[in-house]
Amino acid sequence: MKKRAFILLLILVCFASVALWLRQNYWIDHMRQMSGQKSLANVSCFNCHLVSTAKLRWAQPRPHHDAPAGMAISPDGKKIYIALDDRDEVAEADTTSRQVLRRVKVAGRPFGLAIDAAGKNLFVTCRNTDRLAVLDTQTLQETGSIAVGMAPVAVAFCRTAAGDRLVVANSMSDDISVLSVSPLQELGRPSAGREPFAVAITPDGTRAFVANRMVRLVSVKTIPTSEVTEIDPMTARTVRREALESAHQSEGICAVPSRSWMLTPLVKVRNLVPITQVANGWVMSSGLAITDVKSGNVIQMPLDEANNYFADPSGVVVDSSGHRAFVASGGGDVVTVVDLDRMAAWLDKADPTTKQEAIYDMSLSPAYVTARIPTQRNPHQLTLSPDGGTLFVAERLADSVLVVDANNLTEKGRIILGDGGLNDPIRRGERVFTKAAYTFQHQFSCRSCHPDGHVDGLSYDFDTSGIGDNLLDNRSLLGVAGTEPFKWNGKNASLEIQCGPRFAKVLMRTDPIPQKELLDLTTFIKSQPPQRVTRNEDGTLTPSQERGKAIFFATKTKNGTEIPHEKRCASCHRPPLYSVRLSFDVGTGGTFDTPHLLGVANTAPYLHDGRALSLEEIWTLYSTNDSHGVTSYMNKIQLNDLVEFLKTL
Amino acid sequence: MKTMLNSLTLATGIALLFSLSGTPDVRAAETATNDLPLPFPLIERFENFHVQDGMPTHKVHCVLRASDDKLWVGTYDGALVREDGKFRRIGVEDGLSHKMVLCMVEDKRTGDMWIGTMRGLNRYSAGRVTTYLQTDSGLPNNVIYGLGIVDDTLWVATAAGLGVLNLKTGEWTIYDHTNTTMHEPWVYSVAGANGRVFVGVWGSGILEYDLTRKIFTEYRDPDRDFHFELVHDAGPINDVTSWVAWDEGILWQSTYFGMSRYDGSRWRTWEEKKSPLVSNFINFIWAHGRVAWVGTDRGVSVTDGDTWVTYRANENGEGLAEITRPGQPVETRTMATKLPNDFVLGIWADDQEAWFATSDGLGHANFAASPKSAKVATAK
Repeated sequence: MKKRAFILLLILVCFASVALWLRQNYWIDHMRQMSGQKSLANVSCFNCHLVSTAKLRWAQPRPHHDAPAGMAISPDGKKIYIALDDRDEVAEADTTSRQVLRRVKVAGRPFGLAIDAAGKNLFVTCRNTDRLAVLDTQTLQETGSIAVGMAPVAVAFCRTAAGDRLVVANSMSDDISVLSVSPLQELGRPSAGREPFAVAITPDGTRAFVANRMVRLVSVKTIPTSEVTEIDPMTARTVRREALESAHQSEGICAVPSRSWMLTPLVKVRNLVPITQVANGWVMSSGLAITDVKSGNVIQMPLDEANNYFADPSGVVVDSSGHRAFVASGGGDVVTVVDLDRMAAWLDKADPTTKQEAIYDMSLSPAYVTARIPTQRNPHQLTLSPDGGTLFVAERLADSVLVVDANNLTEKGRIILGDGGLNDPIRRGERVFTKAAYTFQHQFSCRSCHPDGHVDGLSYDFDTSGIGDNLLDNRSLLGVAGTEPFKWNGKNASLEIQCGPRFAKVLMRTDPIPQKELLDLTTFIKSQPPQRVTRNEDGTLTPSQERGKAIFFATKTKNGTEIPHEKRCASCHRPPLYSVRLSFDVGTGGTFDTPHLLGVANTAPYLHDGRALSLEEIWTLYSTNDSHGVTSYMNKIQLNDLVEFLKTL
Repeated sequence: MKTMLNSLTLATGIALLFSLSGTPDVRAAETATNDLPLPFPLIERFENFHVQDGMPTHKVHCVLRASDDKLWVGTYDGALVREDGKFRRIGVEDGLSHKMVLCMVEDKRTGDMWIGTMRGLNRYSAGRVTTYLQTDSGLPNNVIYGLGIVDDTLWVATAAGLGVLNLKTGEWTIYDHTNTTMHEPWVYSVAGANGRVFVGVWGSGILEYDLTRKIFTEYRDPDRDFHFELVHDAGPINDVTSWVAWDEGILWQSTYFGMSRYDGSRWRTWEEKKSPLVSNFINFIWAHGRVAWVGTDRGVSVTDGDTWVTYRANENGEGLAEITRPGQPVETRTMATKLPNDFVLGIWADDQEAWFATSDGLGHANFAASPKSAKVATAK
């Protein structure tokens, strides 16, 4: 290693000597020209040279853990199936003895599970291979598979007049695959909201409801809304789309038998209020959306308490009688028990205005929240035994499933899947990342804005004065290792600084994350690879993507005119990170850090304040005078080609 | 010379055959015209909708009966959905990108309605409108003239090229004068066929896209003349294609200079002076089965290529149905009702009913149970 460094240094010295011999200011001129920076204070050779993704943390092998994802229980209640996405496995456990009986390999990051009415077939969504696999529950061997949309995360089984159906939420293609079971084929793929994440079927099997995690793409100054998509599973046709105003991050959905309700946990977000209002309880809270299945009307009810929050609500399940709902708080490490009879009684008495304002009244929850069941780290998915007597809680970052007596809410024990992975700094870091205890009154976790390390698609008002309007687009943490400095102004030289004391003071309004946990946290963030992209299976590019690649790396316009170096795409978005990690003015009102482009297709909106709702808008609306690269020579076909190439990065 | 003589001999023979056998038949038809069945339903009565009937504006551009039986109407001022006998309007305030709706197509698998406007494309899905503009998506141009859905792709005819949106991947592909044989980028209409898509290009004839081989075949006016049809039945009647429609293996093309029909091997063309076509100026053509409904500036014609019925108003403002059977004189019937306006911009028809989008209202045609039961006055 030392020898290599010495040789490298020798070569550099030789080059420098020759250059100095040629021209005294050669290197300074070269760096100025190539970096496009007047001041070279932040510029080094390593902005452009010797950059490799191979040594980044996310490109290294990492330990895998037995984190439970989706769960399904056999109709007789004797067995529970648990998806272990990080292991590419599905586990079968005995619900009484709580022992794992079998584990089988299922390729492609198995995530969501459903079981048919007879308990013969287990359906598994494979998040990384865009397919649904069918396992025989007797043998646990794969008996079938079908391609669905991109990154399927949830599946529900139902019986309809036209036969058995499966409804699959495809989180990255923003659509829903509706499949017939016999034969296993896709009947239709209606569009969903943004990032569909959970599916529930009405008891009569006539409607499927899909909860969507991200908000719809709208102007950044508009109050964001997410969506509950309602489809007919028999015909695969869209029936209704209910908007959840000022709400997002819905990762669960559940029907309430006997009440004609659909329950969707949500994060009530107020991103247009200065983020400094955390201390006043104005930024985020948890709630439960109640959708009237018949009318489609939605009422949002709070789950938090006035001075204590239960962040990141995710899984939800309702007992068969419809009296109680259980909601997992992934950031708060509890399962909240909601008495639906009491909630219904409150709703019956409330006038329409009071109902609409209910979500803002944190004093309401004691009227219907009857218990908070403590769990180990990061409870996520929930399921109930068919008789409603036993609650199963997937403790995702503890590698276990908590088993609770649903009648008296006492702990029966755990299904142990793994050791929790506490020797792994990445796993420890994820536990910090998902923990709301580090924020004021436990209002939110890192994950609240960065689900799975990604983005929530919002722009937040980061005006530290608390009175201004300084919207900044939330940037993905996926593939962020090696792309320092951070923040849109490029002032944070490392993730440790980005996530350190100043962040705690400005945003979390608490003491900083302790140093050891901070290091684990940044290790976790650095280990997150870029988002999956759309590309041919063999890694080759389509003709359109090839043309787009040529445009991205073009040094001349199509009529042969030289494009100035600082105006070429690849000059600032230089591979392999597709960022030289310097700040530039692209005509949006200041100088901003150059974001990397790995996984850029799925990070809308764009530009520092999220003003561009699509990649196209960067050039068609906001950089029409070649202020963001020379693009004015392109026609629409070429712009489409460029966008198609960007989708492959 | 020899060929010409052969042709003369053949023509003389045919004429003789007609003269010997045709005359008695014509006489018989004259007396029994009303009893002869037509190859398509006859309109018995029009029911019209104007501003006073709930229309937001007088000008109606397109009309469509969706698979859930709801009627969709595209107007100068938004889209209308007719439910329970009432019109519900969807306008800019509901998220539509522009008030002027020019065309619509339903994705029958999901029930989504795609709406083309003068400024942008919209997907109406269970009450939610998602817009696609040339600035925020791969859409070639904001002026949307025509729409078609073929399998998992949406075909969009725009003022600056043909856009194809892959509904599963979101990828846009653009075809225009720079990468196809189209001479102009003004694409007016698309019609899906079995494994093919026909594209009507204003000033550039018709392009046929083979979905398997991914290649275009061009059909152009053989004489390349914009005003006269010099060569009959030898290709599209004109390069100025205003609309194309396809059903049951038959392609129909409308232009401002007549219309044509292509069955995959043979072309036929019609002009108003040489056929029962009511006007050369054709805005729209609708194919149903092997029949075409033709929306012109002077009324509607319906034809299977041989038999014609034209609905229009006479100089006194009375509604007329002009029936032309092969080899028969025109039978003209006065109707108690008529089209809301003879300038017809859009049509939707099946075996039960027909709807007409006109420049002054929406028309609904009730068909007679059979030609005999038509309760209309007959006049020669």
